[in-house]
Amino acid sequence: MLDLKDHSPRGVIHRGWNANVEDYAIAGSWGLEGKVLVVADAVGGVYAYDGKSGIRIWMQHKVHAGGILALAVHPNGTTFATAGQDGRVLVWGVVEGQINQSIDVGTGWVEHLEWSPNGKWLAASCSRKVHAYSSSGVEVWQSDDHPSTVSAIEWSSAGELATACYGRVTFFDAPTGHPFQKLEWKGSLVSMALSPDGDVVACGSQDNSVHFWRRSTEQDSMMPGYPAKPAALAFDDTGTLLATGGGEAITVWSFRGDGPEGTRPGILDFHVQPVTKVSFAHHGMLLASTARDGAIVVWSLQKDGTGESIGTAMLADLGTELCWRPDGRKLAALDAQGGVTVWNIR
Amino acid sequence: MNTAQKIPVTILTGFLGSGKTTLLNRIMSEAHGKRIAVIENEYGEVGIDQALVINADEEIFEMSNGCICCTVRGDLIRVLGNLMKRRDKFDYVLVETTGLADPGPVAQTFFMDDEIHAEFSLDGIVTLVDAAHIEQQLGRSDESTEQIAFADVLVLNKTDLVKDKALDRLENRLRDMNRMAQVVRSERANIPVDTVLNLGAFDLDQVLKQRPTFLEPEYPFEWTGVYALDEGRFEISLDDGPDPSMSLVVMSEQNADDASLREGAEWCVRQYAESAVLIRPGEVVPAGIHVNLQLDSPGRKSFFLDIDEQTCVGLYAQHTAEEFDLHLANEKGQKVKQEAERVWVAQHEHDDEVGSISIEREGDVDSEKLNAWLGVLLRERGVDIFRMKGFISFKGESRRFVFQGVHMLVDGQPDRPWGDDPRRNQLVFIGRNLDEESMRQGFEACLI
Repeated sequence: MLDLKDHSPRGVIHRGWNANVEDYAIAGSWGLEGKVLVVADAVGGVYAYDGKSGIRIWMQHKVHAGGILALAVHPNGTTFATAGQDGRVLVWGVVEGQINQSIDVGTGWVEHLEWSPNGKWLAASCSRKVHAYSSSGVEVWQSDDHPSTVSAIEWSSAGELATACYGRVTFFDAPTGHPFQKLEWKGSLVSMALSPDGDVVACGSQDNSVHFWRRSTEQDSMMPGYPAKPAALAFDDTGTLLATGGGEAITVWSFRGDGPEGTRPGILDFHVQPVTKVSFAHHGMLLASTARDGAIVVWSLQKDGTGESIGTAMLADLGTELCWRPDGRKLAALDAQGGVTVWNIR
Repeated sequence: MNTAQKIPVTILTGFLGSGKTTLLNRIMSEAHGKRIAVIENEYGEVGIDQALVINADEEIFEMSNGCICCTVRGDLIRVLGNLMKRRDKFDYVLVETTGLADPGPVAQTFFMDDEIHAEFSLDGIVTLVDAAHIEQQLGRSDESTEQIAFADVLVLNKTDLVKDKALDRLENRLRDMNRMAQVVRSERANIPVDTVLNLGAFDLDQVLKQRPTFLEPEYPFEWTGVYALDEGRFEISLDDGPDPSMSLVVMSEQNADDASLREGAEWCVRQYAESAVLIRPGEVVPAGIHVNLQLDSPGRKSFFLDIDEQTCVGLYAQHTAEEFDLHLANEKGQKVKQEAERVWVAQHEHDDEVGSISIEREGDVDSEKLNAWLGVLLRERGVDIFRMKGFISFKGESRRFVFQGVHMLVDGQPDRPWGDDPRRNQLVFIGRNLDEESMRQGFEACLI
C-alpha cells in the first residue's frame, strides 16, 4: 500500500522546486523548450516560473473574469493561449507575459483550447461550437452546433481537428471547417485521446466505459466495467499503449498486434483514491499518474501494458495536471490548493 | 467524505410563469452573508450582483444501456464540476430548471456521478405551482406531474388569483400525489427563505417534523367531538353545508383522552363500513350505528339524541363541525360545551395516477431479504418510482439506517444510534400506479 506519510519523493522522483498560485491550479504547460513553466489558476491568474529554479518570472491576476478553464502553449514555445469563463481567448508571450491578442469567442465558457501541431491554427470550443483561428487571432471558421457542449478537442494531424461531445466524435478539415467524419455512439463522451497516427480514437464515457474507434476501418469496440467514469486518458508517443484512469486502478490497453480487443490489459495498482490524471513522458514508456488524494506515481511500462511503480511522491491536495518537460527529465504537477511542484526524474 | 462537508444544492422546478425567477431573486436578496452560486437553465433575470450566475443549456445525457434511471444532466456535471474547483468561494448552489424539465435526470445526477456525489448533496427539490393554471397543466403534461411528484416543497403560488375553496381542493390533490412534500402557499413567491433552503429534505425526520400527520392512517370521518351529557333529549343542529347529507356515528361511553379517541375511531371505522341508515330532520339518531343525516332542505336542521343515563358521547362525523356549524343543545336550548375535539386525516378518492405510499412497521429487518425485495421492486418498477426515503432497523445494527432514492438509485448510510427508542421502520414511496398492498406485503416479508 501507499505509504507516503513523510511525503518525501521516492525512487526516480527527486526533489526539485515548488511554488503556489492563488487558487486551484487548473492548467499548465512547459514553454521555451522546457525553460519556463506557465500555470493558470481557477480565479483567472496566470504565472510563469523559471523551469530550473522555480523563480517566478511574471504573473497577472484575474485576466479572465470568472476564471481560467484552459491553457495551451504554441508549438514554437514562445507564445501560449488561455481561455476562460468570460468567453475569451487571450494569446500571450511566454517571456514577458504580455497579452498579444484578445479573441471574443462567444458568450459561454471557453473550455478547451489546442494549437495545431504545425502552429498554424488555434482551436477553441465554446458551448456547442468549435472555432478555429489563425495564428494571428482571426477566425477562420466555426462549426455548427454539436449535439451537446463540446467535451474535448484534439488535433489528429496538422490539418484535422477532432471534437468529442454527447454521442459523437467529429473530425473537421482544418482549412475549411468541413466536418468530414462522424463517429457515433449513444453515450456521453467525457474525455478523448487520439493515437499519434490519428487512426485510433479513444473516449471515456459517463457510463463507466472506454469506447474505441479505428478510423481506417470504422470498427469500434467498447471496454466496459470501470468503477468510475474514465476521465483520464493518454496514449504513449508510439501509439502502443493507452492508459485509462477510471477508479483507483490504471488500466493500460496495448495496441500491439490485434489488440487491445480480446487481450488482457495491464492493471496498475497503487493508488488508493480515484486517479485524476495520467500522462506519458515523450519517450521511454514512462507514465505519471495522480489521484484525488494528491499521490503521484511514476510507472515503467512494458509493451503489453504491464508495469511497475518506480517512483512516488505526494501533493498537498488533489492532483489536477501533470506536465512532463519535453526531455522527460522533469515532471511538473499542479494541485487543487494551488500548489505547483516540479520534480527531477532520474 | 462526510455529508456535512458537502455543498448543499436546491433545485427549483416549475412551469414557465410559476414564479421561479421571482423566488430566486427573493432568495438572493434575503440570504445575506451566504455565497450562493446559481445555475440557470432558463434565461431569467437574476438581478443580484453578488451572486455567481451561470447560464447553461439543459443537456440530457442518456446512457447506451437505455436505462432512463441512468440519465443524467451533462450541463450540471460540467458546471458543478467546475464550481467545486472554487469551493471556498460559495456555500450554496441553486439550480433553476426550465419549465419543462424532467426532475429525474437532475436528481439522478447527484447519485450517478461519483465526483458530483462526493462534493455536493441534494438538499431539496422545490416545485413552484401556478395555482391558477396547474390543473390544466396536470392534464396536459407528464412533466408537471413529475415536478410535483419529485418535490420536497410545493410552493402553491399566485394564490390571490384563485378562490379559497378551489385552493383547498387543489392542495388536497397535490398532497394526494405527493404526501412527502411540504405545501406552502404564497401570492408572489413571498415565502420565508428557510422554507426552501437547508431543508435537509432527504432526512425523513425533517419531513415528519414539518408534517406530523403524514404517516397517520386515513379515516372515513374527518371530525370527532366529545360531549358530557346528562339524561334527557338533546338536539343536534346543523346549518347549510357543502354536502346534501353527512355520515355520522354516535358513540356512547366515549372518553376524551387521545388513546380513547383512537380506540373509538378504530371501532367507528367498522361501523362506517356498514351501509348507513337515512335519518331525516326531526328524527332521532340511534347510537352505535352508521347513519346518514339528510341535509338537503334549506336553513338549520335539527336531529335528536336520547340519553338514558349520564354519559360522554363521541360524534364521529364525516365533516368537521365548522363546515355545517354543528351544535349540540339540551332541552332548554342551551349549547353543550365540547369536552374534546379531534380532526382526522380523511379518506378520499385518489384520482391521479401519481400517489404516495407509506409503510410503517415496528421490529427488525433481515438485510438480505430487504435487498432482494427492494432489488426486484426497483428493477421492475423503478421507472414509476419517483422518490423514496425512509429509515430501516436492521437486525444486529445499533444505528438507524437511513436511505433515499430516485427511480432505481438508492443511497443510504447508518445514521444515529437507536438508543432507547423503539426500533421501527418507515418507508415512503412516491410513484405512478404503485400497488400499495403488494408493496406492504413485500416489506412485511422482510421483517424478522
